[in-house]
Amino acid sequence: MTNTNTTQDEIMAVFPKVAETMADALGCEVERVKLDASLIDDLGAESIDFLDIVFRLERAFKVKIPRGKILEEARGDLSESEFDKGGVVSEAGVERLKSFLSEVPPERFKNPLNVADIPRLFTTETFCKMVIRQQARSGGTGAAASKPV
Amino acid sequence: MDHHFRAFSFVDRIVSVQPGVKICGSYNIPPNIEAFPVALVAEAVGQLAAWATMAAVDFERRPVAGLARPIELQDEVHPGQKLDPSVELETAHAEAAAYRGTATVNGKPVIQLQHCVGPMMPVKDFDDPNALRLRFELLCGRGAEPGAFQGVPPLSIEPTNGQPGKRLSAGFQVPSSAPLFADHFPRRPVFPGSLLMHLNLELAAALALQIPAPAQATRWRLATISDVKLRTFISPGERLECEARLSESSNDCALVAVETRKANKLIGGARVRLAPENHP
Repeated sequence: MTNTNTTQDEIMAVFPKVAETMADALGCEVERVKLDASLIDDLGAESIDFLDIVFRLERAFKVKIPRGKILEEARGDLSESEFDKGGVVSEAGVERLKSFLSEVPPERFKNPLNVADIPRLFTTETFCKMVIRQQARSGGTGAAASKPV
Repeated sequence: MDHHFRAFSFVDRIVSVQPGVKICGSYNIPPNIEAFPVALVAEAVGQLAAWATMAAVDFERRPVAGLARPIELQDEVHPGQKLDPSVELETAHAEAAAYRGTATVNGKPVIQLQHCVGPMMPVKDFDDPNALRLRFELLCGRGAEPGAFQGVPPLSIEPTNGQPGKRLSAGFQVPSSAPLFADHFPRRPVFPGSLLMHLNLELAAALALQIPAPAQATRWRLATISDVKLRTFISPGERLECEARLSESSNDCALVAVETRKANKLIGGARVRLAPENHP
């Protein structure tokens, strides 16, 4: 089951603008920002780029993206101590992450997975879903609902 | 001499503050220095924003230079003038601070920063939190004694190669020691992002002199710097390579992309918009 039942239509509706925003932030050609591109491994993003991308997405889509929210949402009903211990994600935490970040191929989830390495999993689609979730919270626009991905 | 809060501090007084929301200050540019580059005006605004941010989080974290776009360069400032910066914070939380700000001289705007973002880092890695608290109280009270800044340290940029009117490259050796490092910052000396911006602007200006002047104007002037991104700290003694490259030009404006590398790794970038002289 995906997080918040984000649909493929919704993702593709925001993808072009998300890709353009990310390309501007990263100083790369928009063609490189594919939906499944990993921000760090494929696009060379650094921590400052993550900040830049989030602020640009907020302005482009007129939403607020609360910091740290993605991890909180990924945890779901797991407590912090159930999700990770000493900075290493638990088995239950990894399973929860795999479900939440359903756009990320399962083989990319290292074992053991450090909390600090979670951003390495993020793809363009991860940010598309982030925007869609925030639009839904603020009552913003999104694509018409169709079958969940 | 103790250079802390002297060698690279550009807020003499905090006139009003709502921590985490907005702040107004003042800074008297010492009359006896050679020049006060516009990049240091941006630094003054950034330092004011830092005070408001630090006060909002009880001086546990502080913003460092990160992103800026765009910065409108509206007028020059000169030694002896009084700068009146003001800042509105857009966000101030544990991860980052975002703000916009302006600075005026005699009520006339000299710089406008539209959207700056500074990653937040532990204060204790850079300075003594209690010293910062006391300094904040002083700035909000009677203010600091003006005149401490002794001017921009000698920064020699060495042209390496280029293509006249198209591209200009230069090497820069960050000083191994300078009074400013004792202030920026006492526990972790860092070459200021604003001084890197100054060097980038100097390089862009040198390239601008090589670009044919637009019609109805005699030359290009620096109008805006945007998409400023600093990716890493620059330590004393490091060697940097800067490059300015003309990316677009028309009769109304020219765009120069500036990049800074350290050991071939991109560590900073910006875009400088040139406007015909005497045109907005």
